[in-house]
Amino acid sequence: MANEQKIRSFLFYLSLFIFLVGLPFILAFALSYKFNTRTLRFAKAGLIVLKTQPSGARVYLNGKLLDEKTPATINELLPGEYAVKIELEEYYPWTVEVMVSPGKVAMFDKIILFPLRSDVEQVSRESISYFWIDQQAGLIYYVSAQGNIIYRSDLDGTNFRKICNISFPEFSLKKWKLSPDKQTLLGFNVHQIVVVDLKSKASYDESLLAPYFILNYPRQKILDVFWHSDNYHIILLTDGSIDVSEAAPKASPVRLVTLNKNNASAYYDERADVIYFSDSAKASDDRMYESVYKLDLAIKFSPFKGLMKSRSENE
Amino acid sequence: MNDARIKRYLEITPGALSWGIVVLFILFAIFKPVACAVLIIIFDFYWIIRTVYLTTLLIMAHRHLSKEKNRDWFKDCAALDSGWQELYHLVIFPVYKEGLDILRPSLEALNKCNYPKEKIIVVVGFEERNDLSADNAKALESEFAKGFLGYISTFHPDGLPSEQRTKGANATWAAKKAKEFIDDKGISYEKVIVSCFDADTCVEKEYFGCLSYHFLTQERPHQASYQPIPVYNNNIWQASSFARVVETSSSFCQMIEAMRREKFVTFSSHSMSFKTLVDIGYWPVDMISDDSVIYWKAFIFYKGQYRVVPLYITVSMDAAYDKNFIKTIIMQYKQKRRWAWGVENFPFVVRGFLRSPEIPLLVKIRRGFNLLESHVTWAVWAVIVVLVGPLPVLLGGSLFKEMSISYNLPRITGMLFNFTIAASIVWIILSRTLLPPRPKGISRIKSVLIIVEWLLVPAIILVLGSTPALDAQTRMMLGRYMEFNVTEKRRKVI
Repeated sequence: MANEQKIRSFLFYLSLFIFLVGLPFILAFALSYKFNTRTLRFAKAGLIVLKTQPSGARVYLNGKLLDEKTPATINELLPGEYAVKIELEEYYPWTVEVMVSPGKVAMFDKIILFPLRSDVEQVSRESISYFWIDQQAGLIYYVSAQGNIIYRSDLDGTNFRKICNISFPEFSLKKWKLSPDKQTLLGFNVHQIVVVDLKSKASYDESLLAPYFILNYPRQKILDVFWHSDNYHIILLTDGSIDVSEAAPKASPVRLVTLNKNNASAYYDERADVIYFSDSAKASDDRMYESVYKLDLAIKFSPFKGLMKSRSENE
Repeated sequence: MNDARIKRYLEITPGALSWGIVVLFILFAIFKPVACAVLIIIFDFYWIIRTVYLTTLLIMAHRHLSKEKNRDWFKDCAALDSGWQELYHLVIFPVYKEGLDILRPSLEALNKCNYPKEKIIVVVGFEERNDLSADNAKALESEFAKGFLGYISTFHPDGLPSEQRTKGANATWAAKKAKEFIDDKGISYEKVIVSCFDADTCVEKEYFGCLSYHFLTQERPHQASYQPIPVYNNNIWQASSFARVVETSSSFCQMIEAMRREKFVTFSSHSMSFKTLVDIGYWPVDMISDDSVIYWKAFIFYKGQYRVVPLYITVSMDAAYDKNFIKTIIMQYKQKRRWAWGVENFPFVVRGFLRSPEIPLLVKIRRGFNLLESHVTWAVWAVIVVLVGPLPVLLGGSLFKEMSISYNLPRITGMLFNFTIAASIVWIILSRTLLPPRPKGISRIKSVLIIVEWLLVPAIILVLGSTPALDAQTRMMLGRYMEFNVTEKRRKVI
């Protein structure tokens, strides 16, 4: 028992010794004090913290490769400017000039390393002018550079095939729009609208091509076209009016608004079923003022409601 | 200054110090985060060194315990020149609400001891206010009275003048009744060793051999208390994980304390000279922590020439647990708060020191400081380690966050606490060796669970680390004195 007490005393004094000797080192480390061999004095150092995404990148400090890889903490840096470079194979290098201040942290914890282009993969097999993705079905649709062929592939580019060949008109199509349900596609130029039925048999029978039809507007200049939220009607902004039409062969448009301005712009809010458009109007002082107007299709505009009704009756 | 005022100031001191430290840390975290971070690092480093040191002591204590585990103490005792034959053992079980299911195993363990029964006097001290006392006493007498030199059931009357409802009051009443018996038999008090056991205490069969051996081989044996290692093995396999880890940790603390002889104080079930007990006026009748106060009474009586001798033999008690997790936590919390109420020793001891000019000043300062420091550390360590640790980073503001110490603080504390993990692996291994064999009906899976459950330690530190001590000290500081609350014990029948 006496021996035990001797060992205990020894352990106690050893612990005390470790505490007293270790504490200055721990505190010096915590407060970033470092012995400066040039001035032979203790100086308050700073540190640089580097965290990258992805991690594991090599770190160069003033051109010298360090043992540590990211995430890395470069401790005990005497105050001054340092050049930091981070390298990771297959990624662009990242560099920065850092001013290290005494007792301060230079924190770079959101470094994103961007990959080189080597992992960019071409998915289309033809030259294209427009594409869109149906994420739900896992498909990519492409429009050829000439605007007359529609292709489709899986998201990784496999099963790339032509699904529609539009034997087309005088002007090439300038813009494409997919219906909200992603079943129908329309393309338009100044006087024509092409509507392609993507949900037809062609979608699963590779030997068939998707059917389409053309709507001609020879007297008006089409500025923009919107799909109505019912996926069946289209709203046309022309140089003299806002019209609505069924997306069906030989459909006749109904005029919603006659515009004073021939280069109006419009926005269709699909959720609220509201068209916002700009137009000019003559005020009491005989001067023309341009304003933005709102046309609520869902509630106030009865002819359009009639159209909706007739459509549901037809169905 | 009168004694009552001194007492009140001393009651305020531990709580004021503990709260002062906590508040100071919080204020520093807000207004002087760098200073706070430095203090936290110093404290953490001190705490790790202390943990490693205490774990080493635990290993030594465990080694000692293992070495003496199978020793035939009675044989060694009989081989001594000085006569064990003249010694008598008085065993007192103060009982309050504990039923026969708790008391029977304690008396059975006494019956099975490798020590002549005719040298043992058993006193089961019931509380008169408990309605079942008389019936329980009768039942136990009929089962266990035979063979012992004496078997006495005492009934402590309720509401005696200057008494509180404490275990010490019951034990004192029982000891006074035992004194009458001892006087009748004409036995010298010097030849009687009294053991005051909690009602659920089951002694090992060599306990009295071990105790007699130590008593007979000590210099000035009357100036010592004899402290066995308490383990909570009676129901340890049935107890919930939370309770098991807490109780095993308590046993470890006692093993460590046994190694720190100069600070060692009696705890729970322990033994001492009956002569000393009578001389110092028995256990306190108005204090909850009678188990430690009795040591200090003797220490002051003998002018600092009193010590606790560790007995490397275990006494097994019940782990405190309840039907569900929350109730177990509450029960454990209340038990630990009762233990932490041992802080009431501080005013008692200091006032005793003030009245005892014979005790050397250095001894007074050292022991007084140790007592105060241990309670204050208990009340603040977990708060500092768990709650205050992150405060400088959280409250220090943007300027502090730019400083290297704000970045280094969590790194250093994290690194230091890896040592604690290493220490806890030692605790896990040792805890396994302290366990009794797995009883029939307990699944093998529990053997694995018993190791895995040590992962609860961080949660236990949060709930039971410092809060019970801070609670107890705050109560004493505000003069809201605690009453003795028996920890209800429970055993599942397998």
